[in-house]
Amino acid sequence: MNGPMRRMASLVFLGFGLLLGALTWFQVLGANGYRSDPRNVRTAINISGKERGLIVTSDGSVLARSNPDPDDPQAYLRSYPEGPTFSHVVGYTSRLVGEAGLESAYRNELRSRRDLTISDVIAALFGRDLRPENVLVTIDAELQRAAAAALEGSRGAVVAIEPSTGAILAYVSSPSYDPNAFLGETAVANRQAVLDDPAEPIRDRAGAELYPPGSTFKVVVAAAAVETGLAGPETAFDDPVIYELPGSTATIGNANGGPCGDGVTVTLQAALVRSCNTVFAELAVRVGAGAIGQTASSFGFERSIEFPWSLAESTFPESDLTDDAAALAQSGIGERNVRVTPLQMAMVAAAVANDGEVAQPYIVSQVFDADGNAEEVAEPRVIGRPMSPATAVVLTEMMERVVTSGTGQQASITGVRVAGKTGTALPEPGQPDVWFIGFAPVEAPQIAIAVMLEDGGPLGESGSGGSVAAPIAGSLMERYLVRGDS
Amino acid sequence: MTRDLQPTLLVGAAALAAFGVSLVNFAAQGTVDAQVGLTFGTVLVAFGGVFVATRRFAPEAVPHLLPPVAVIAGFGFVEIFRLNPFRAGLQRWWLLIGAALAAVVLAWIARNGLPSLRRYRNTQLLVAVGLLLMPLLPSEGSLPIRGLEVNGSRLWIEIDLYITQLNFQPGEVAKLLFVVFLASYLADRQPALKGAHRRIGRLTLPEPRQLGPLLLVWLGSLGILISQRDLGASLLLFLVFVAMLYVATGEGGYLVGGGMLIAIGGVASWQMFDHVQRRVSAWLDPFGAFEDAGYQVAQGIFGMGTGSLAGSGPGLGQPELIPNAITDFIFAAVGEEFGFAGTVAVLGCYALAIATGFGIALRSRDRFNKLLAFGLTFVFAIQTFLIIGGVLRVVPLTGIALPFMSYGGSALVGNFMLVALLLAVSHEEATR
Repeated sequence: MNGPMRRMASLVFLGFGLLLGALTWFQVLGANGYRSDPRNVRTAINISGKERGLIVTSDGSVLARSNPDPDDPQAYLRSYPEGPTFSHVVGYTSRLVGEAGLESAYRNELRSRRDLTISDVIAALFGRDLRPENVLVTIDAELQRAAAAALEGSRGAVVAIEPSTGAILAYVSSPSYDPNAFLGETAVANRQAVLDDPAEPIRDRAGAELYPPGSTFKVVVAAAAVETGLAGPETAFDDPVIYELPGSTATIGNANGGPCGDGVTVTLQAALVRSCNTVFAELAVRVGAGAIGQTASSFGFERSIEFPWSLAESTFPESDLTDDAAALAQSGIGERNVRVTPLQMAMVAAAVANDGEVAQPYIVSQVFDADGNAEEVAEPRVIGRPMSPATAVVLTEMMERVVTSGTGQQASITGVRVAGKTGTALPEPGQPDVWFIGFAPVEAPQIAIAVMLEDGGPLGESGSGGSVAAPIAGSLMERYLVRGDS
Repeated sequence: MTRDLQPTLLVGAAALAAFGVSLVNFAAQGTVDAQVGLTFGTVLVAFGGVFVATRRFAPEAVPHLLPPVAVIAGFGFVEIFRLNPFRAGLQRWWLLIGAALAAVVLAWIARNGLPSLRRYRNTQLLVAVGLLLMPLLPSEGSLPIRGLEVNGSRLWIEIDLYITQLNFQPGEVAKLLFVVFLASYLADRQPALKGAHRRIGRLTLPEPRQLGPLLLVWLGSLGILISQRDLGASLLLFLVFVAMLYVATGEGGYLVGGGMLIAIGGVASWQMFDHVQRRVSAWLDPFGAFEDAGYQVAQGIFGMGTGSLAGSGPGLGQPELIPNAITDFIFAAVGEEFGFAGTVAVLGCYALAIATGFGIALRSRDRFNKLLAFGLTFVFAIQTFLIIGGVLRVVPLTGIALPFMSYGGSALVGNFMLVALLLAVSHEEATR
């Protein structure tokens, strides 16, 4: 009987081997995935009531802090002193409704290590600091507050970037919500109210929502045209009243209903300054989907940009447009198949300002310990070169004319040279998405900006990029630069 | 291991449990209370008591069966105490009662000898069947013993003791009787069963006449599944039967036939019963059915994953999120709070106890003793595998108590008696 018995015993221990294998997967190899599964509320329960690190700006504004709980000497209460102004950046961490933003992305740095878990005890034995680490963001608190105030009452977004480094100076999505409301016992009801709000304050319009860029996309088309040598600022184009879409009876006209210039010929420069659709539709077809697509992807289109939270990918669907000249012409003026985030368009402006180089956008400049020593410091790096420095100079000149004598005049700042481009996209009749992208000062750019308002902002149906977005962009850049000088 | 080491190891197991309880205390209230001493005393008295009984009634018994079992019981007790201190108080009494019954079993066998177990074989079978059927008694009425339905399964009886009521799962004792009966039956019939086969081509099949008992037990198992909705007990009984039949005869055909019958029964019950379908879909994709049938398995996995290598520490995790964490899912609760380190330790202790049991069977010379030791060890091993495997998604979840860990008096009593029988066999074989 011992033979069969040994075989049965082997079978049993084979089964135990399977158990050990499964255990190794669930508790070792795959453990992180199960721990961070959004349906697993253990992490959120664990950190609630524990001390967490600060989230601060470089001017010392506190965006998130932990205060001792007056009712429980062992517990802490999280608070977000700036309320809705920074909510799409800071996010929240809540026992009841989960986590978002930097609170989620930097959960390991921000958490206290006084958890009594074995690994933390071992860390303590080796003399490691158990206090939570803190996060320093690149956001300019005053600019952020000004941008939030400028969008008050509208749906839209403002993103400002330091062109040479990619540091995010402002990241505003409007309307917003108060993350403090997600902390208490009423968190679930409060969050439901935010989700039910028809203005959709939970959405991150700055980086996670896609919009047609309208005429701001002409900067990308112009960059591709100049870079490939197909056109320069003085290249003359025919100046028809309407452009007939190839292979179609549909047409494209200009915003004023007439020709762009004298009705005979017009230069590329004049066409950009006056934002003529006819010329750019034709130019897009001439340059071709391949060249525009390549330039766009160097700017960051069709790529997932590394960021603390997931961004929407801006799209220029090159393969769909290669054999469809009509769609390519419409895409050339930022309609039809092109979709962008305000962050992406701020990166476009920043690249022109930065000699044609796209800097990796980043929002956390430093993680520092409780004594103020830097633990991790962000290193600026280049992630794309859509154009040569020479092309960037040409585009900068053209974009400066847009502000001095074209559609972007309301973005001008007394005593500061500003370059920019307006845009008015019409995904739905009567509901224009109005845009301004630009940078200043032209001779040594310190700030690049994208301003976008849904439904024409306060002006509604009659709003345009030049009348609504440009003045906001101008005043925000002025505020930033003037303070920077003093 | 020398025999003198056993008391030290048992004191160590009691100290381990007490230390665990002190950590739970500390996590909950920042201080340590009398529960620590009570835990140390309970584990020490229970397992020390069984040890003293073996010294007296079975001095030649193997020394390395009790220590791993004591460690397992200690781990389980800490987790039950952490999740439900009231139930832990009851479990404390069940540990002592189970240990006392183990001592009684050892004493009875020392006086009457193991062969006396073979005497009333058919009565044993009848009693086993009767115990299995008891939960089907009407749950209302004037009888002092009533059937109970718990979580959709009918495994419990409620005994009216006039001063209080006692709930008990008679199946936990029935399966011991069933193993004793089978060992005795197969020991006698082995020559007849062996060699009674016919060849069809290269395949050796048992004589059709010999398949009778196989089919009978298969039908009985299905009967349990249908009447009591208990997948675990049904599968356990049939597996033990097939394994013992195979070991007694060495005929691989029984394994093949048994495997086929399990497949047929499995597919049929899957088609017929909602609760089996739910179990299977929760097994295949617990996260897809997270809001529904998969919730328990998914929460168990979340707990174990969050526990990871070192665990949250006793009292510092959230095992209360796992439904039935003190019974079917106690292994997941241990995984969450003691981590991979704790679960591997527990798995190692089970492996040690099971290997010891198989060792007793392999070294036994008497046919009955051999089959008895094998059957008991196999029952212990299969219960452990089925419920841990269910928690770890290796097999579909079946509601079976994890031996010596899960909360529950009946299972504890049954398993203490099982260990006592194994100790008695090892003593008897060593002194032949």
